[in-house]
Amino acid sequence: MTELRTPATDQDAFSQEEPVSPAGPDFGLLDWLRWGWRQLTSMRIALILLFLLALGSVPGSLLPQEGTSPAGVLQYYKSHPTLAPLLNHIGMFNVFGSPWFAAIYLLLFASLVGCVVPRTFKLAGSARTLPPRAPRNVSRLPHAASYSVGLPPDVALDVATRVLGEHRFRMRRDEDWISAEKGYLREAGNLLFHLALLGILVSIALGGLFGYKADRLLVQGTSFADTASALDEIYPGRLVTDADLAPFTITLNKFDASYITSGPQLGQPASFNAYVSYTTSPGSPERSDDISVNHPLSIDGAKIYLIGHGYAPVFKVTDASGKVVYDQATPFLAGATGNELSEGVVKVPDAEPSQLGFSGVFVPTAVEPDGILESIFPAPNNPAVSLIAYDGNLGMNSGTAQSVYQLSTAGLKQLASKPELLLPGQTWKLPGNNGSITFTGYQQWVSLTITHDPGQLPALVCGIAALAGLLLSFMVRRRRVFVRAVSGNQGGSVVQFGGLARTDASGGFEAEFAELANELRSAQRQAVPTQQALQPREDVGD
Amino acid sequence: MPRPTRKSVMLAATACAGVLAVVLLVTAFTGSSGGGPVYLDGNTNAVLYPDGHRPLAPEFSGTTLTGSTLHFSSYRGKVVVLNFWGSWCVPCRSEAATLAVVAEQYQPDGVSFLGVDVRDSTANALAFTQSHDIGYPSVSDPDDLITLDFTSVVPISGTPTTLVIDRTGHIAGAIFDEATYSELTTMLDDVTGKK
Repeated sequence: MTELRTPATDQDAFSQEEPVSPAGPDFGLLDWLRWGWRQLTSMRIALILLFLLALGSVPGSLLPQEGTSPAGVLQYYKSHPTLAPLLNHIGMFNVFGSPWFAAIYLLLFASLVGCVVPRTFKLAGSARTLPPRAPRNVSRLPHAASYSVGLPPDVALDVATRVLGEHRFRMRRDEDWISAEKGYLREAGNLLFHLALLGILVSIALGGLFGYKADRLLVQGTSFADTASALDEIYPGRLVTDADLAPFTITLNKFDASYITSGPQLGQPASFNAYVSYTTSPGSPERSDDISVNHPLSIDGAKIYLIGHGYAPVFKVTDASGKVVYDQATPFLAGATGNELSEGVVKVPDAEPSQLGFSGVFVPTAVEPDGILESIFPAPNNPAVSLIAYDGNLGMNSGTAQSVYQLSTAGLKQLASKPELLLPGQTWKLPGNNGSITFTGYQQWVSLTITHDPGQLPALVCGIAALAGLLLSFMVRRRRVFVRAVSGNQGGSVVQFGGLARTDASGGFEAEFAELANELRSAQRQAVPTQQALQPREDVGD
Repeated sequence: MPRPTRKSVMLAATACAGVLAVVLLVTAFTGSSGGGPVYLDGNTNAVLYPDGHRPLAPEFSGTTLTGSTLHFSSYRGKVVVLNFWGSWCVPCRSEAATLAVVAEQYQPDGVSFLGVDVRDSTANALAFTQSHDIGYPSVSDPDDLITLDFTSVVPISGTPTTLVIDRTGHIAGAIFDEATYSELTTMLDDVTGKK
């Protein structure tokens, strides 16, 4: 009966043996390695690793990550000057790329491999071996039935073979017993679950190696191509090079935003639509699409999401000599005050005799109560800009790259004491014969995030497979039934029918067993020939 | 010494498979590329493509800042320095003087300079070329289409990028950063056969 394990140990899907404790003088290096491997591939450790993986991703979603929000990290450094370097030291701003996260991930991978591979062999083996011999006393099994039937034992067993075969049991037949087993799908489902978990890990790795994420701000009426130099930010996977980016181009023809115009939600966005035309590769036909918040554009496995929008006032700047030295839509970024009150800078590095700089505020629906410029609605109903002008050195002629949204005022001198308010079409003649700036109008811009994750679909498929496997392993019972038939009175026999569910999830086996017993008995009774045809047989005795 | 059982053999095999999987994964994560182009003075941003391994520059055309149409094919037979720049780009501003000097210096050797102005407005770009006394033409590439043409050949990974193209239209060198006088002249001397 050693074949029948207790449900508890059978549940333990991982290493079946108790790990040998590391004790005693004979415990050598090999034993340690073996012990370590057993520990690693044990269910307990796998669950701990899975838990750690989940726990490890928590800081990744709570703290700003370098990969997704470098500005957020900088902000965190500013607001937590002592804590941030410590957190950075343990990789908290790059959780998913940190060594400790990789360690959990790889150990879990090893644990799963170490679990699944031996179990596959085991399942293959158990599918090939016959069910065990029937126990001597079938009636002692948890589920048992006994009855007499007017058939000789071998015929009774023949009928039982047929009935059990119809129920798709695997059978082993001996002279006076049948042993039958079914429910291998349980183990198969279990394996499917573990393989699918492995698959999910591999899919995530695929995404990390071959995927990329990038951002680009695009002003209405302009285009860009998906190339490294044209993207504002790019976060490539480990094996992605600049040459691997999908060669599409996107033009923003029009951006529409609509807002709620009344009620308590006044000014809240109602819809955003970016009408774009795109080509999948140079020279391919142009197509159109409408990108909205939950409707990304798909090109060549890359998904393009609309994640932000704003205003880009157009400025034209002339320098002291009257030459046009700047004429461009300049994206401004909305601040926290709401209603799309946006801030931005204009840098005019080629103005002569000295460089010009402006820091400004764009207000889509301007009001000016008490002399303070405010925006009362996010739509451009009464657009205005307010500018502070500087001249001097912008710090752009050497040194490191600058943010286009920030003005380094260290080498600059403010030209006028007060900010100047301009409406579209208005020109401000700068004090001291420094030229002029004209607010010629505005454009809208969108910010797009491009993601390419080749692991997404495999991860989905594996997720579904894992669920299916889990369901199978929960719903299917591994169970055995045994039939013994011994000769009884008048050429008949006494049939003993016993059953055993091998696993915890045996709820319902009682009913199945009773039904099976009934079916067996009635099949055997139906098979009893008429009294006349029955060949007299010698009684063996009771 | 205990005799190895089937179980322990299986265990060992599984362990090997597991370790192999981990090793494969780790190498995949840290994957390195071998061979290929040569770095100038060990600087990975200055790449020399040896003769015979030079990628062919794509054909492109565009509108210059002054409004005329320019076909890159008209430069065939000349050594060309192709500089991707923008008036907004700080390193482009600091390399501009170097480019202007080298352009003049190598003009007698039949070296032409050509700019590709990226993510810029024509007004801003013209102000740049005037204030930096850039004598050579630039084509506008506001839609990144020229940049895109180069992606499959030598990806323009950022601005500025400078390519040195030989007389047969093949890319002999690339500087993926602010170009220095010594990098540029080394590459040009090599391509023109001056040294």
